[in-house]
Amino acid sequence: MARLTNLLGALGVAATLAGLAFGLPAIDRSLPAERAIRSDEPYLIGAGVTVVPPAGAALDVTGTRPADDDGTVLFRLGPVKYAIVVRPFDGDLGAAAERLRKRIVDTTGYQVTGAQLEVSTAGGLAGLQGGYTAPGRGGRYAVFVADGHTIEVTISGNDLDLGRTLPQIEASTRTLRQSGGQR
Amino acid sequence: MTTSVVRPARSARVSTLVRVPAFWVVLTLLAAGGLRMAQMTGHFFAAYPKATTLSILLFALLAVPFWLFVSELDFLEREPAELLVVAFAWGGLVATTVSIPGGVALENLMAKLGSPQLAAGWGAALAGPTVEEIAKTLGVVAVVLIARAQVNSVLDGVVYGAMVGLGFQIAEDIVFAVGAVALAGQGDQVQPVIATFLLRGFLAGIWSHTLFGALAGAGIGYLVVSRERGRAHRAGVAALAVLGAWAFHVLWNSPLLIDGLGNGALALLGVLLIKGLPPLLLILLLVRHFQDREADYYVERLARLDDPSLITPGELAVLGSSSRRAAARRLPGAATAVRRLQRAQARLAVELSRADAESIATAEAAVRDQREALRRLGHAEAVAGPVSWRHRASTIATTAVAIAVLWVALSALGGA
Repeated sequence: MARLTNLLGALGVAATLAGLAFGLPAIDRSLPAERAIRSDEPYLIGAGVTVVPPAGAALDVTGTRPADDDGTVLFRLGPVKYAIVVRPFDGDLGAAAERLRKRIVDTTGYQVTGAQLEVSTAGGLAGLQGGYTAPGRGGRYAVFVADGHTIEVTISGNDLDLGRTLPQIEASTRTLRQSGGQR
Repeated sequence: MTTSVVRPARSARVSTLVRVPAFWVVLTLLAAGGLRMAQMTGHFFAAYPKATTLSILLFALLAVPFWLFVSELDFLEREPAELLVVAFAWGGLVATTVSIPGGVALENLMAKLGSPQLAAGWGAALAGPTVEEIAKTLGVVAVVLIARAQVNSVLDGVVYGAMVGLGFQIAEDIVFAVGAVALAGQGDQVQPVIATFLLRGFLAGIWSHTLFGALAGAGIGYLVVSRERGRAHRAGVAALAVLGAWAFHVLWNSPLLIDGLGNGALALLGVLLIKGLPPLLLILLLVRHFQDREADYYVERLARLDDPSLITPGELAVLGSSSRRAAARRLPGAATAVRRLQRAQARLAVELSRADAESIATAEAAVRDQREALRRLGHAEAVAGPVSWRHRASTIATTAVAIAVLWVALSALGGA
């Protein structure tokens, strides 16, 4: 009897752990993460940085964390992910781009492709953009530096979906704006 | 003195653990957690070999003083090293492995059911502590299940809880350090590891998971030991202790005072003290209280012997106090001999409480051997001698170095 109680106790411990490790993620997956979002007004990412979402995009709340001095936002256009990360940064644009490229290639199977091109936003932010490939998917990245922050944009999806949605996303990226007063 | 202070039990040999069903379940969980952590570490090594090696080395070294301190908390009735290893491994392998997906999921649920703003502001403060404190507390429950006889005082619960917390803290720090390297985006650099070590090791290490785990462990210890109380009372106290650990963890992770009290090292120190000092003081008071009660219990058993060859009246006064034990070890040229005698006397006290004649005889013989060794060094008993100028100078120098190290760390991270 004592052994059975002991075994049941241990199995109870294991079951509780399983609840934490597998149960919570299962509940998380069972609930939708996407929220409708207006594409005709700026969305505050964090640290005073805003962007107008692409038409037809949904906000993925699991990848969105706005804060006073940094922030992330994740939009989804079907299978395409469009993520923007704002972080404090004390370097120049070249260093910011190099840092992002390094992080991309540090991920197993990821490679940056081609040369970087200069880009700018309607609000006057200057940036660099490039492309990368990964197994089964491709991507674009862009990086801007403004007011002590780096704004990193990554877009990923398969080539077909990317080709279809890139014009809307690039149009959205051009609406990035940094306003120190909003922080 | 009630028996609820210490619940004497027959000495449980670790080799007998294999007969306990829970042992095999715990072993399986440790193996699964170990496999997962090995996979994660393998990825770290592949991407950042230098930084990963350094972070493992630094945090492993940091674990050593914590381990020694925690394992010395219960000097009189020491815990078996094997069970301390199980507790540490549970924290480092099982609790971390479970907490990573569980914490992320809970934070996502906060974003889904609340808002991304809620998750951004309070996700780390609420999701992390909720999953982590449950997973860590289960480590103490696991130790109780596999070796109930070894958890016979509240202090035992504190020790095992602190060990689980320490294992968790070290593993989490390594993951954070390598994460900082990845985030920096400058390749296999060691600077983010050193910054993480200063911040999470030196500044946050004292009042981190080891402390929260100790409080939760005290609750489980009380639940197991205080049999004269009703089940509901004991369960209530245990729940309160786990809730307390959770609340202190929430306070530590909370965005309150996130902007600090201003700039500079003093401001950073102020925030650390406001958030970290309450649990530290509470735990120290609790430990002191339970150490004193346990010491009274064991010293009383030794006093009944009334045999100065085993323990003198002066040594009885010394054995129950950690500071007086330490002072006695400063007898000229006899530090090791005094320590061995004190250990032998503590062992005898435990055997007296278990009332096993054969083990008592063996323990008495061991005390007499150590007594003889001390006499050969010219000391009749292990009591404190006068404080030497060398000891005073050493104390002042150590304090000065500790303050200097703390100040350098605060200045480096606080922008002084």
